[in-house]
Amino acid sequence: MTARSFTDRDIHLALDGELPEDERAAYQMWLEANPDMKAKSLRFAADNAALRNLFAGVLEEPVPSRLVTAVNGDGPRRKQATPWWRMAAAAALLIAGGVGGYLAGMSGIGMGADSDDRMAQLAIAAHQTFAADKNRPVEVDGSDQAYLTGWLSKRTGLTLVAPDLTKNGFTLLGGRLVPANGSTAALMLYADAEGNRISVYVVAEGTERSKGTFTLASGGPEAVYWQDEGYGCAIVGTLPPEQMGVVAKDAYKQLIAGAGLARS
Amino acid sequence: MRSAVMDEKKAAILQEIPRLRRYARALLRDRDSADDLVQDSLERALVRMDNWRTGESPRRWLFTIMHHLFIDQMRKVSRRGEASILSLDATEALATPATQTESVASREIVDALQQISPDRRAALVMVAIEGFSYAEAATMLGVPAGTLMSRIARGREELRGLLDDQARRRAIRIVEK
Repeated sequence: MTARSFTDRDIHLALDGELPEDERAAYQMWLEANPDMKAKSLRFAADNAALRNLFAGVLEEPVPSRLVTAVNGDGPRRKQATPWWRMAAAAALLIAGGVGGYLAGMSGIGMGADSDDRMAQLAIAAHQTFAADKNRPVEVDGSDQAYLTGWLSKRTGLTLVAPDLTKNGFTLLGGRLVPANGSTAALMLYADAEGNRISVYVVAEGTERSKGTFTLASGGPEAVYWQDEGYGCAIVGTLPPEQMGVVAKDAYKQLIAGAGLARS
Repeated sequence: MRSAVMDEKKAAILQEIPRLRRYARALLRDRDSADDLVQDSLERALVRMDNWRTGESPRRWLFTIMHHLFIDQMRKVSRRGEASILSLDATEALATPATQTESVASREIVDALQQISPDRRAALVMVAIEGFSYAEAATMLGVPAGTLMSRIARGREELRGLLDDQARRRAIRIVEK
């Protein structure tokens, strides 16, 4: 019986269960006769076991809901029918009319709920941290908007657009992810020619429908926000109130339209 | 096609998600980037449901879709020079509690795995972690069996070399103190 000669390539075959049954005994003898090859085989087997152990835990992790939604939803989320509450939010906004009246009349509404205050506070905190950073305010710049919004959408679970605020004098610097109240929010930053910066904070969080303006007791930037079940956004800046209202409303309308929600 | 067949197919796909997540995590390391890849794969699978023959296990079909997306993504990253953004994500992931509990040894293996070329990494992970046969892996990766074998052999050699380097560096650091 002439046993075929083995090479280190057979170490891989043996390790991966690809060595034919009738060659295994001869392979073992070859290993015993070649200590280097045996050492190599033991080392590869150990690395293999380490790799397998390292990722074994992933199978036990709860499956993120966005992945279940990707399968069970009727196709990709962005093609879903408009949820009623977003239509209602959009409609309410259109009815609100003049921005001055809107800001004056709405700032108190919905303030009983804590979640919107919390969202506004987080949006202001994010604005204060990142808009103030002259050199690196954003993580991904605005030059490739499709990439930016694709990334932010995926991470927040929303269909996001970067509102075009050029007619208000603001251009997109870019965006980043920031912490929200238990999830992740998208922060998009804009600057005008004078160097004023505003930020658009969007998160898939919210409990009940509310809208308003929010400023910290200590002063500083103002947040104009909208919230509904599962959706919240806040536009933050230090512009004069009238201008702030115009920019915020423009941004909000585009966000809603971009999500396919304003065609009611 | 809102039918019982459709629901059955969806249920079969749902069952594969843990496996898909594990494969993606080994390929990309960062948990969110890995889940992004899984989500992209599932979305693509759903629009191409007709390509999946009834009765066939969805596993190989889904892994094939994911592999194509992974390779596309790797090409885009190198073309656009966005590696810095991705590696930044990976660095940030180290700060999360889940990865903080990783031991030094396991972090070294994950790091080493990430340094292997994407083609070799995919081949090695499919066989060594996912337990596919050479024939199955070669089909899913769309390469001849010989190519698959050499990718696995080189991938293992490379991994071993990287781990040895890390161990050596660690030893030097200890001596320097």
